Amino acid sequence: MATSTTAVPLEEAAPRRSEGQWAIVFRRFRRHRLAMFCVGLLTVLLLLSALAPLIAPYPRDEPNLGGRFLTPMGVDADGGVHVLGTDHLGRDYATRLLYASRVSLGTAFLATAVASTIGILLGMLAGYFGGWVDTLISRFLEIVATFPTLLLLLILASILVQNINAIPIPDWLASFLAFMFAVSEREARIIIAVIMVLAFFGWTGTARLMRGMVLSVRENVYIESARALGASNARILFRHVFPNALPPMIVDFTLGVNGTLVAESALSFLGFGIQDPTPTWGNMLGYAQSYMFQYPWMPLIPALPILIASIAINYIGDGLRDALDPRQRG
Amino acid sequence: MAGYLARRFLQMFLVALVAAICAYGMLYLVPGGPIDQLLAERQNAGQNRISEDDIRRVRERFELDIYLPFRFTRWLIGWPAGPLPGGLGADWQVGCAVPGQVRLRYPDGRVEVVEEGCEVPVTMADLEGRKVSRGIVFGDFGISQVMLRGRPVTDLIMTRLPYTLYLMGASILLSILIAVPIGVYSAVRQYSRFDYIMTTLAFIGASLPSFVFGIFAILLFSVLAKNAGLPYLPPGDAVGVRDYTVPLLGTVEAGSFLDRFLRFLMPCGVLTFINIAGWSRFVRGSMLEVLSLDYVRTARAKGVAERVVILKHALRNSLIPFVTLLAGILVALFSGALITETVFNWPGIGRLFIDALGRNDYNVVMALLIINVVLLLIGILITDILYTVVDPRIRLT
Repeated sequence: MATSTTAVPLEEAAPRRSEGQWAIVFRRFRRHRLAMFCVGLLTVLLLLSALAPLIAPYPRDEPNLGGRFLTPMGVDADGGVHVLGTDHLGRDYATRLLYASRVSLGTAFLATAVASTIGILLGMLAGYFGGWVDTLISRFLEIVATFPTLLLLLILASILVQNINAIPIPDWLASFLAFMFAVSEREARIIIAVIMVLAFFGWTGTARLMRGMVLSVRENVYIESARALGASNARILFRHVFPNALPPMIVDFTLGVNGTLVAESALSFLGFGIQDPTPTWGNMLGYAQSYMFQYPWMPLIPALPILIASIAINYIGDGLRDALDPRQRG
Repeated sequence: MAGYLARRFLQMFLVALVAAICAYGMLYLVPGGPIDQLLAERQNAGQNRISEDDIRRVRERFELDIYLPFRFTRWLIGWPAGPLPGGLGADWQVGCAVPGQVRLRYPDGRVEVVEEGCEVPVTMADLEGRKVSRGIVFGDFGISQVMLRGRPVTDLIMTRLPYTLYLMGASILLSILIAVPIGVYSAVRQYSRFDYIMTTLAFIGASLPSFVFGIFAILLFSVLAKNAGLPYLPPGDAVGVRDYTVPLLGTVEAGSFLDRFLRFLMPCGVLTFINIAGWSRFVRGSMLEVLSLDYVRTARAKGVAERVVILKHALRNSLIPFVTLLAGILVALFSGALITETVFNWPGIGRLFIDALGRNDYNVVMALLIINVVLLLIGILITDILYTVVDPRIRLT
């Protein structure tokens, strides 16, 4: 048996230029085909909602009593075609659905962003400084976590939405959100109230996760060397601890968006969240439920986007979890 | 152990108190309240117009004329029910029966009436002969303010509780009976086709909001089945009011066992499916963990039949983490599934909460909230204690 040696071309043998951390994550994520498909789906939904005012065929709130409950592709008395039909007031369903995507997805993203920011900051403080700061934050966290969330969420949402004028919301914030969601300023105030409520109950999980991450990250030698080099606490926290504790937070954020999306839909569905005439997937479904016996297609139209968005976000979270897991090679 | 329990009970009491203060304060501090509906009716002029005096009487009956801190303590422990011992504080003002009104005249001629000060104060002595609840701490939840005006909240809860108990009881039992075998089989045949199908189903079940699932169920089993002339299920309520005809089953008498059973199927099915989605994954995970342990390998090496290894050695140990779910079950049994009950119009505790909140019946809302918090805390305590029973390595300190 002859032993053969294979010549290795020099270029291949040389170490490849090392990939950046995020390039590796992205390459791994791309291999998760279902997650990539879900990213595509979600992008389409986001694009549609971003372009809502441009592509919506009808005004959002204009009732048309001559053309109520039109079937998809139905034609109203004025000869206008409604791609997805009309609702109980004759408002174009496709138009409302587009605006609703904007409100529902936007609310979910914003509320989760606020909740995650609070959670990450408090978790970082508790984990990094320990001592009485940790005790204080952890006790508060325990108390909030033992509250019956859904009941308090409903109570808080119902009283805030009923007394929307009593909440001091800065005008610039209201008008900014009104612009973002393509709604009036009054509607934007209700959306802000709902976002606040969702964020208040959404941060506990993130804080607990972040605290745990920071507890393990701060034991690393590079933190010690940073401190030895004279880095300030703030610099260590944001420059060294935060980036290294980030990966699980990204997954947590993704799954959090799904949680808030479902929570907001449920609130609006029950009539305690964002109210008509502001359309959201949840309140459209709530109204459709009362008419589903005569018009069975009606609930399907807002229910499907909830379903698609929710499953898509979950799969993306799943793909991210695999891609960010350092124990997986490749 | 005794010291631990004492500390836990103190902690639980504090959490419940904080929750009660927060919720009570939130509900009553904002404008609007239980007598909104009465005040709105007052706007309609008419023969049976509600007079100023009526409003005052209602406010007195519902304690709305007592300042919030005293209202809260009366609700909590039924105190103060009159002047302190020895007639002390008989003339302390604890509320206001008729708020004073001030007419503000603006320079531009507008006149506005604002409430300021107090015309007829309520003092401790006035509280003397008033009806007062014994306090929620002693099991008296007060009176319903809107839904059953003037009747005890307990009556309301008692009429709804059986529905929630049997809906939740049946669905939890069914879920366990189905989820455990599915979880075990998925773990034993990991990465088989069965496992993949179950993983996907569980994933969808976990991300599917219950109200969307409920509406799909109504659409499929009530609306579409009825339109297609197939046997269908009634879409909501626990008991029918009229007879109806279902293909193959004939006429169903309203209120008969069959009627109740048909209406029970859909909410129970939806709840069961959602529970199975979560719990089967739970069992699969802990089963996989146990199957890789040394004593399972030892049992196999000894030549113990695979069946016995799985059912006796692995399954019994894998169910230990299952006790953490018990805390949730205790609460679920009482408070029901808020959203599912609302979708199916099921007259249980969950829908009672939604109705009470929607109609500003604050005493009902508070009663349900407090019961919920207490049960949740007890559930967590029981779980912690059970853990030491099933796993002697864990010690409570």
